[in-house]
Amino acid sequence: MSPVIGIVIEAIIKSALMVFVLATAFAYLTLAERKIAAFVQVRKGPNRVGPWGLMQPAADGIKLLFKEEMVPAGADKVLFFLAPILTMIPAMVIMAVVPIGPDVELFGRSIRLGISDLNVGMLYILSVASVAVYGIVLAGWSSANKYSLLGGLRASAQMISYEIALGLSIIGPIILAGTMSLQGIITAQQQSTWYVLWQPVGALVFFLAGLAEVNRAPFDMPEAEQELTAGYFTEYSGMKFSLFFMGEYIKMVAVCAIATTLFLGGYLGPYVEQLPWLGILYFTIKTTALLFLMIWIRLTLPRLRYDQLMAFGWKVLLPLALANVVVTATATVLLG
Amino acid sequence: MSIANFHPNDLLAILPELALVVLAGVIMTMDIVLAENRKRLLGLTTAVGSFVIIAAAVIFSQPNGELIWGGMISNDMVAFIFRLVFIFAGGITALLSVDVKGVAHKGDYYAIILGAVVGMCFMALAADIIMLYLAVETTGIAGYVLAGYVHRSSRSAEAGLKYFLFGAATSAVMLYGLSLVYGFTGETNLTAIASVLASGKVGISVILASAILILVGVGFKIAIVPFHFWAPDVYEGAPTPVTGFISTAAKTAGFAVLIRVFITGLTASEYWLPILVALAALTMTIGNLLALAQKNIKRLLAYSSIAHAGYALVAFVALSELGVAATVFYLMVYVITNLAAFGVVILVSRSGAGEEIAGYAGMSRRSPYLALAMLVAFLSLAGMPPLAGFFGKFYVFAAAMKAGLVWLALVGVLNAIIGLYYYLVVLKVVYVSPPQEGALAIEVPRAYSFALVILSVGIVLLGTAASPWFEWALSAAQGIF
Amino acid sequence: MEAVSAAQIIFIVVALLTVATTFLVVTVRNLIHAALWLVATLFGIAVIFVLLDAGFMATVQIVLYIGAIAILIVFAVMLTRRVMQDVGPQSNENWWLGTIVAAVFFAAISTLLWSIRWPALPGAVVGDTVLALGRSLVDPNQYVIPFEVASVMLIIALIGSITLALPGKQSE
Repeated sequence: MSPVIGIVIEAIIKSALMVFVLATAFAYLTLAERKIAAFVQVRKGPNRVGPWGLMQPAADGIKLLFKEEMVPAGADKVLFFLAPILTMIPAMVIMAVVPIGPDVELFGRSIRLGISDLNVGMLYILSVASVAVYGIVLAGWSSANKYSLLGGLRASAQMISYEIALGLSIIGPIILAGTMSLQGIITAQQQSTWYVLWQPVGALVFFLAGLAEVNRAPFDMPEAEQELTAGYFTEYSGMKFSLFFMGEYIKMVAVCAIATTLFLGGYLGPYVEQLPWLGILYFTIKTTALLFLMIWIRLTLPRLRYDQLMAFGWKVLLPLALANVVVTATATVLLG
Repeated sequence: MSIANFHPNDLLAILPELALVVLAGVIMTMDIVLAENRKRLLGLTTAVGSFVIIAAAVIFSQPNGELIWGGMISNDMVAFIFRLVFIFAGGITALLSVDVKGVAHKGDYYAIILGAVVGMCFMALAADIIMLYLAVETTGIAGYVLAGYVHRSSRSAEAGLKYFLFGAATSAVMLYGLSLVYGFTGETNLTAIASVLASGKVGISVILASAILILVGVGFKIAIVPFHFWAPDVYEGAPTPVTGFISTAAKTAGFAVLIRVFITGLTASEYWLPILVALAALTMTIGNLLALAQKNIKRLLAYSSIAHAGYALVAFVALSELGVAATVFYLMVYVITNLAAFGVVILVSRSGAGEEIAGYAGMSRRSPYLALAMLVAFLSLAGMPPLAGFFGKFYVFAAAMKAGLVWLALVGVLNAIIGLYYYLVVLKVVYVSPPQEGALAIEVPRAYSFALVILSVGIVLLGTAASPWFEWALSAAQGIF
Repeated sequence: MEAVSAAQIIFIVVALLTVATTFLVVTVRNLIHAALWLVATLFGIAVIFVLLDAGFMATVQIVLYIGAIAILIVFAVMLTRRVMQDVGPQSNENWWLGTIVAAVFFAAISTLLWSIRWPALPGAVVGDTVLALGRSLVDPNQYVIPFEVASVMLIIALIGSITLALPGKQSE
């Protein structure tokens, strides 16, 4: 077997695994969210399907599959069909550059736990994130529905605005590590310490901007149900709806995974050098903790008003992120 | 010329530009801090700041003729003269804006003017096509905003949009030409490009094509025929101080680029020279002929400024030290004279008399001093001795004759006579026509009388004592050949 | 003629697609569709950057042009739904003149490009190209001045666009 074919097979297997893991994560994240919400609101939550409601996601999935697919009159059919796909793809591919563990030995080959390690990995993430907005905008526009259009407009304005803060907040770790490769950033954290200690402001800005990027509460204006029914996916049903649904949760996972890599040392933890497989466990624990934080915030904080949201993005987060970049760069130059 | 390595002293060379950026920041801050009734200070600060920067530049930034900052800019005398002219024009424009409705009390307006001046300075300095293009765009974008600044007025909005569309299209064409130059020489530095061309490895058709493409962009900036269509509409619609600024400083900056690209860079002049000669003759003639029919003073000045670009081009196509010196001198004179003319236009339209030439009737009796300033400016534009305009034209035609372009000089002289006619028609309205019933004296705020006095003295000074100024321009021209 | 390599075939396909989408940008009547074809064009250019081994430029192309500029166009078009469908004539009586000029220009430029003996590149940058690019932008012996002038230009554009877009208090 020539090495090229080996690499191709390896990449295919890893990609398939990644899709599978993300889909499962999506399914159980919805369940976790409902369970936690129930706990916070002192109720029981889903508990009928399977033990502790563990089969609930499967039931939901089957239900969505059998729903009727609706296309509103006056909709732009091609774009209406394309929009959910354009939302899903970026959410799926963004994880490709995130390493979820150190290199491991398997079947006599050294295998990287992560699909790829680009030397411009951070830029890759930014570019994929910047494309993600198209699915939402097009969904809003192609539905020929006022709620959808307003939701799409809000979403695009919000995502464009917060993307700048997001982009600036990742510059801190890049400066400290001296590389844009995510593997490189983790290695650099191994030598010093988790960057959340050096970059508390950067981590905070990243997390908040990330929340806004994935349209989660308290930044979920695009789908504010009291005002906009369901925002940009008002007209969607069945599988197309579930693609949007899935996209949102997978993006949550991606934001948390990236935050873990940049600020929480990624897969690093005790004994990870001796037992590389432990890395996956550490990575999962950290990511899950962040996901829990996201859900907790949603259950605790009320939604921002639209103008407050824009003001917060442009007048608070952006200057904060800029100042963080300036301070980090200056400190790095002065202290070597 | 070789590229000098960075030396801290190089910062002094670009001191005026650095100071202009700082000044723009100060203006923006003052805009926030100042109370509404003291906003007049914004324009005055811009003007005073500009004049201080000119003084500082003369003391600290004397050029040494080297290629500095990695060969991006050429710190030579031609650039130095042009930069002083731009900063002066910016300062005067600010001074002429302080009581104009719609722009006077806006900090961003003055900041954008200063930004445009920075762009123009780098257009003059540029020795590298990357630098050049960025500078051209900086000036261009500032110009589009300024022309459309009073966007509630549909005429100003139209002017801004028209300027933008023409500017964007022509600068795209120019960029294509520049990319061709980079493609076939593999160099971005103009001096290096010249040495590749001198080696004779590059075909004629390529040089000609890129010269034409670049000429489209530059031709738009200096508003020569056939790239002049935007000029009358934009000049008429833009706020009058902006019109003065665009028609003087931006045009001069275009000539600076012309000198850089075509004399330093594309040295294979035999290919593109005939085109420029023809354009010079066409520009003078068409500009002057169209000016004859104008009833609106701003449109008249627009067509006259097209004609003036033609005169400056006549000197340029001589492609000699004398020619470049004559171009530089002519542009110095033109900037001062045209600014004075627009100063008067601003004051008259402020008084409510409008922009039609008929509204100037009997101005000599209403405001004799203002009429005198107009007389000086228009006679200088017409090229009457002993004012500056006469010597400007004199050197231009002398350069053309010396280069053997006798017929072109002759066309120029004929055009000067046509020009004289329509300038005198305006002056006739000012001095001979009776004023309208109950017309009052035109109010002249102190800032304006100050500006007009400076400009008029400048016109007389550049005329009666022309030779030291011309010597200066000549010494500068010697530096680039 | 030499054999055509795989990279050349990919380039030709991508270039043709890019040109085709560009054509669609100016011919389709629906503004949103035009904007989306523009996105496709920009994406094609990003692919060409990748083929030129300029991965950094490709990602920058996507982040800036597709992720920021094109989305703003879409955004602006969505705010003006009433004029979404262009119903007027797409050309005026001078269309044949424009066609002739364009055809002559195209013919002239393509014969020109065919005739040039392009000089060899001075040698690719060895090592981390992103690092080299970053350094050259702040090196006083390279591109620091153009870089700063570009920032002045962007600030002017920013101030200018805010000024033009702001409804503004009627203070005078």
